[in-house]
Amino acid sequence: MVENRPLLSLLTHLVLILGVVIVAFPVYLAIIAMTHDAATLNVSAPLLPGGELFNNVATVWNFDPPGLPPFWLMAWNSTLMALIIMVGKIVISILSAYAIVYFKFPFRMVAFWLIFLTLMLPVEVRIIPTYEVIANLGMLNSYWGLTVPLIASATATFLFRQFFMTVPDELMEAARVDGAGPIKFFRDILLPLSRTNIAALCIILFIYGWVQYLWPLLVTTKEDQFTLMMGVRQMAGVREVEPMWNIIMTAVVLAMLPPVLVVIFMQRLFVKGLVESEK
Amino acid sequence: MTNIEISNVRKVYAGGVEAIKGIDLSIADGELVVLVGPSGCGKSTLLRMIAGLETISDGTISIAGDVVNRKEPAERDIAMVFQNYALYPHMSVRGNLEYGLKNRGTPRDVINARVEEAARILEISPFLDRKPRQLSGGQRQRVAMGRAIVRQPKAFLFDEPLSNLDAKLRGQMRIEIRRLQRTLGTTSVYVTHDQLEAMTLADRLVVMNGGQIEQVGKPIELYDRPASLFVAGFIGSPPMNLFAVDKLKFAAGSTFPQTLPTGTGIVGIRPDSVVLGKNQPGIQLSGMVEMIEPVGGESHLYVRAEALGQVVTIVVQGRPDLHETSAIDFVLPHDRLHPFSQETGLRLGDHATHGAGMAVAQA
Repeated sequence: MVENRPLLSLLTHLVLILGVVIVAFPVYLAIIAMTHDAATLNVSAPLLPGGELFNNVATVWNFDPPGLPPFWLMAWNSTLMALIIMVGKIVISILSAYAIVYFKFPFRMVAFWLIFLTLMLPVEVRIIPTYEVIANLGMLNSYWGLTVPLIASATATFLFRQFFMTVPDELMEAARVDGAGPIKFFRDILLPLSRTNIAALCIILFIYGWVQYLWPLLVTTKEDQFTLMMGVRQMAGVREVEPMWNIIMTAVVLAMLPPVLVVIFMQRLFVKGLVESEK
Repeated sequence: MTNIEISNVRKVYAGGVEAIKGIDLSIADGELVVLVGPSGCGKSTLLRMIAGLETISDGTISIAGDVVNRKEPAERDIAMVFQNYALYPHMSVRGNLEYGLKNRGTPRDVINARVEEAARILEISPFLDRKPRQLSGGQRQRVAMGRAIVRQPKAFLFDEPLSNLDAKLRGQMRIEIRRLQRTLGTTSVYVTHDQLEAMTLADRLVVMNGGQIEQVGKPIELYDRPASLFVAGFIGSPPMNLFAVDKLKFAAGSTFPQTLPTGTGIVGIRPDSVVLGKNQPGIQLSGMVEMIEPVGGESHLYVRAEALGQVVTIVVQGRPDLHETSAIDFVLPHDRLHPFSQETGLRLGDHATHGAGMAVAQA
């Protein structure tokens, strides 16, 4: 809607600014808290930055309290988990989308709908049976247990399917005439054409993997498998001791950093992948 | 030697729709055969069946003596040029040209030589390192042709390759395709709905309608002796004038010819066969000019003949000294009339040149 009413646009801006403040203020508090020492933070929440930033970061990096693995190990676990989920999801979904779009096999539509159904059953809904399966397979406390159940989902399959449907059939026919079999066609033509889509999905899926909390909490009981999301939560939950807010907030901000960096640096590719379907 | 034999080929789709209803056609080595017809007549389906992109429901297709019914497109050793070019968008022009050769494990030096050769013939050498999207429509068309010729296949299949180009380029590319095909001497099948393209390109023209062949022959034969009302209406622009015989007899009076075959229900005449004026041998008619289309070298007159109750199209050379509403006399020469049966729509008389038998005889 394009309207020229100054009062109305003032009002809409006020609402938007209010929204931004509500969302951004806690983040701001965390960033500020990361620059103060524990004593200051236990008294009040300051609004202006202090001088303890480098101290805090150095402390957190080597932080190794009882009951928790060192910070760097948790960061490593989180990174590995996010990367495995990202790669696994893309590989599985692009292959299944290829099968569904380009091959005629019995029960093709049934297969498609079964995949589609999993969209409606997120991990949280099927968490108990999934846990049972993973436990019986002996995958608790392993990277496989952490990632495999999260890899199976339909979002990416669906996205690739939609993209493949926009690729003109003649391209496949031309490839057939040119002597390219199904694997060559996939590797030489479909994969390069999906480049931007893959990039966009990489970002979404990396973040999806990075922020997982509930599932890692369930399947990991050994310290050395803990992820950042769990670790940060547990730092704040230590009994009998005053919470060390400066350390916690620094850990929070550091944990937030990778997704933010990914988005900032890959934003162009991300938007391109979602908007433009290269023909 | 690549001849293509199509015998009793049928295509039935899953829903029971019969797209091709039994076609026999033989295409001789080095011949350029054009399949032409209105949309939905099955011409593209037939081409795709030759290419191996559609399965064959019944009958056989053989290329150079091999029955190819069960062969993959790549095994048939044909090359196809698609309507939307179907260039691989992420590959350079060179990549597009090479792809088919690479897949066949052609040695590198042969690939390079063939690509250079094709690029030279088609004048696309300066663009070899560009991507298809950086090329104009005409250049893309050339690349698509190049992709076909580097393979040196047994046959070229063209699926309306010029219909995405503007009129001027289309004319230019038509001549180039013709010249290229002549030079290479490769057996070719060309599908189009444009009858001018069909007439000018074809060694032999196949007019299709409703999944069947209406007529096969040299373009001029089809123009001079259309075997059916359908061909008469489809080939030639502006289309042939068709009259019901009773009305024409009434309007012609004593000038009506006695020589028409018995059973003639409809009489046709080409607009360029009608002669202006009076006192010439033939059916004498008169009418009023409703519209004049000056095309340049010739003019198209649309004349309402009251006695016939319909408009007659006349093509005259140059620019006649006429204007709209002028009253004119014109003559339909007897020897230029095309007699057709009302019931079957087929041409009558000894000159009838209809059916698949013709195709076999010609080959």
